[in-house]
Amino acid sequence: MASQYMLPHVQQPPSFHSTASQPRQHQWSPYTENGGVILGIAGKDYVIIAGDTRSSEGYSINTRTARKIFDVGSGIVLGVVGMSADGEELARKVARRIDDYKRNHDKHITVNAAAVMLSRILYAKRFFPYYCQPLLGGLDEDGVGAIYTYDYVGSFEREASRAFGAAASLITPFLDNQINLKNQFVPGTNGDEPRKPGDLPMDRVEKIVKDAFTSAVERHIEVGDGLQLVRVTRPPPREAMEDEEEVDEREKTAGGGVLTEVMSELKKD
Amino acid sequence: MDALVSKYGGSDLDELHQIEDDDDEVSSSLPQSVSFILPPIDQPAKFLRAMTDDHSNPNAPIKLKHGTTTLAFKFQGGVMVCTDSRATQGSWISSQTVKKVIEINPYLLGTMAGGAADCQYWLTYLGMECRLHQLRHKRLISVAAASKILANLVYSYKGMGLSMGTMLTGVGAGGIFGLYYVDSDGNRVEGNLFCVGSGQTFAYGVLDRGYRFDLTDDEAVDLARRSILAATHRDAYSGGHINLYHIKKDGWVKLGFDDTNPIFWKQKLEKGEFQNVSTTLDS
Amino acid sequence: MGGFDFSNHTRNAALMAAGMPAPKATSTGTTIVGCLFDGGVVIAADTRATSGPIVADKNCEKLHYISPQIWCAGAGTAADTEFTTAITSSNLELHSLSTGRKPRVVTCMTMLKQHLFKYQGHIGAYLVVAGCDPTGSHLYTVHAHGSTDRLPYVTMGSGSLAAMSVFETQWKKGIDRDGAVKLCSDAILAGIFNDLGSGSNCDVCVITPDKATLMRNYITPNVRVPKELNYKFAKGTTAVLQEKIIKKDELRRYITVTEVDAKGETTLTTDVMQVDA
Repeated sequence: MASQYMLPHVQQPPSFHSTASQPRQHQWSPYTENGGVILGIAGKDYVIIAGDTRSSEGYSINTRTARKIFDVGSGIVLGVVGMSADGEELARKVARRIDDYKRNHDKHITVNAAAVMLSRILYAKRFFPYYCQPLLGGLDEDGVGAIYTYDYVGSFEREASRAFGAAASLITPFLDNQINLKNQFVPGTNGDEPRKPGDLPMDRVEKIVKDAFTSAVERHIEVGDGLQLVRVTRPPPREAMEDEEEVDEREKTAGGGVLTEVMSELKKD
Repeated sequence: MDALVSKYGGSDLDELHQIEDDDDEVSSSLPQSVSFILPPIDQPAKFLRAMTDDHSNPNAPIKLKHGTTTLAFKFQGGVMVCTDSRATQGSWISSQTVKKVIEINPYLLGTMAGGAADCQYWLTYLGMECRLHQLRHKRLISVAAASKILANLVYSYKGMGLSMGTMLTGVGAGGIFGLYYVDSDGNRVEGNLFCVGSGQTFAYGVLDRGYRFDLTDDEAVDLARRSILAATHRDAYSGGHINLYHIKKDGWVKLGFDDTNPIFWKQKLEKGEFQNVSTTLDS
Repeated sequence: MGGFDFSNHTRNAALMAAGMPAPKATSTGTTIVGCLFDGGVVIAADTRATSGPIVADKNCEKLHYISPQIWCAGAGTAADTEFTTAITSSNLELHSLSTGRKPRVVTCMTMLKQHLFKYQGHIGAYLVVAGCDPTGSHLYTVHAHGSTDRLPYVTMGSGSLAAMSVFETQWKKGIDRDGAVKLCSDAILAGIFNDLGSGSNCDVCVITPDKATLMRNYITPNVRVPKELNYKFAKGTTAVLQEKIIKKDELRRYITVTEVDAKGETTLTTDVMQVDA
């Protein structure tokens, strides 16, 4: 019997009979931490999600080229940090469910619907959580950038900016300061008029993101090697699209958002 | 119960009765679609506790969002509901913008304390049950009934590690206000006034001092705000914004989601409160 | 020798049992290496000091002076390597003075191992000892529990496997000075790039019978990249609750003032508080 309680609608796991003669399992640890950090910022008509490409375990680097940001279809991106196995499994599951939605309803899922869906996927594993923190991004029905952030078991919230992972405690104060303009006032008003956040141009935000990562690399040993930066923007007008012959393979239109991926180098020590 | 209602109730329910007969377990039906995945071991609850409980095990790999001050009280104008907006994972402030008042439907609110995901998920689920009740019975569910659905639900998971301390409040059929405290231990208590969370004692201190049933609407708003402000000032696990709702006869009204910092300074500099905080260089 | 104060031990053990985490020591999750060559010995180290996953110092010195011809590379707890080498340096100096002879590497190694063995591994110092004395060039490793090794090339610290892989593929008998420096620095670079506990720059020290040359930051492969933006705040961004102006002549009421003349020599020396010493 797996549990001493009768549960109304819990799927019973395959039972592992334990008898006195057999060796008993004392500690079962299915989780490991693979480091890395992801960062998402939502703008007026864009979303930027970035992550480093190092995947480590203890003091060893498993790979220097691991992507943490996934294209899950319909113009939606998913960033995951924590245990990379769970993260990749989650990304696959979300991509599959978004594809199912498209086939069943003959339309792209909206980001907010995808956000609720991801929450349900996470909560289904409430008693055996995924060991990863996901961050979902895309453009909403009005074409406005949206970032949805989650805890391990699916509580979620729409936010303007968020850093998750190993160096989150290093990057978050920087974001509070540069994106949300916390505790800052318009000069000359002496504390009467707070500086208003919002409306940052995308190129400035990209620079802030790069600076956040180059700083995190300096002070956190699990962050480094490469930077994967994914933009979700509104598609250009039709004519412009046809003129452009050489479109990047990863670049595609879906659900109102165009995804572009930029890879760059970070320090490797 | 449903049989009694249909026997003695109004004629409009007679048509509905036919439909109900097909569904033999109406009031206690649980979602057959959800199924929870459990770890393949003898004691899943023990495993979950080892991995997530950050009280007995501060180095647990999974830290769930916690920490809160929430309050709700009945008064002559209805029910006032007020919360902070901070979420903490250990000593890390993971968010300052959490919506801890969950809008179940236009008549019902639930507050969030304990595990954020548990509250969000099960109160949303409760919203679904309330809507089904409304469709089946052609009238709003009472707060008493809604809170009982929730209490029975979480009780069925007792010992599995759910963590929630919620106040369920709103108006039911006939414009009757209800306020219930429901938690994951299985408690369900009716009352006029509750504060829940790590900052509850600080909020009670202010709320009990100023509470009267015949508070005017404006006085009730001020008292609710001031109680949360006191809690955010003294409890490190509470803070962020003050989230305020007023439940009236015809449903709830949102009154604001305001940053505590300017509210604090306004209270201090304009009303002369919080004299414990010094702003002068000479002491 | 020693002088450790154990008066808080019981209290701290009780606090830790009650769930309070132990204070974190800065450890030099490190790569250190050493290599003998014809006519001397080379030791090298990376320069990263960590506290958990956080880089505490990007350019710390892990090569410690013992005597003019004996140097020591340290891994493990930063404070322990620092003080163990300093104590041994003092005692070796006194020993050299009382015997009237140049200090020997084997003496240094013996003093270190006896000191560390006495503390049963509680002093977390892992050392590479190298030097030249009248008996020749020597290279040893000393572990925290007191065991030692004597080898032609050695590596220690969290990056020791990465560094050893370089030695095991490239080391040849009868290597010359330049070859040894190249080999040691390559081994350190392997640690810097493949071990998360090691990073930043490479320090090298070459010891020959006539002199020791410390080449601090011999290779700097991890220069900080410039920022894309500059982050200056406009004056008035921070709200001010109260302002108070202290004139220069009132300053002495609050702080100690030291007059410095053009040459940089202090003229007033009473009651001086050292800042930035």
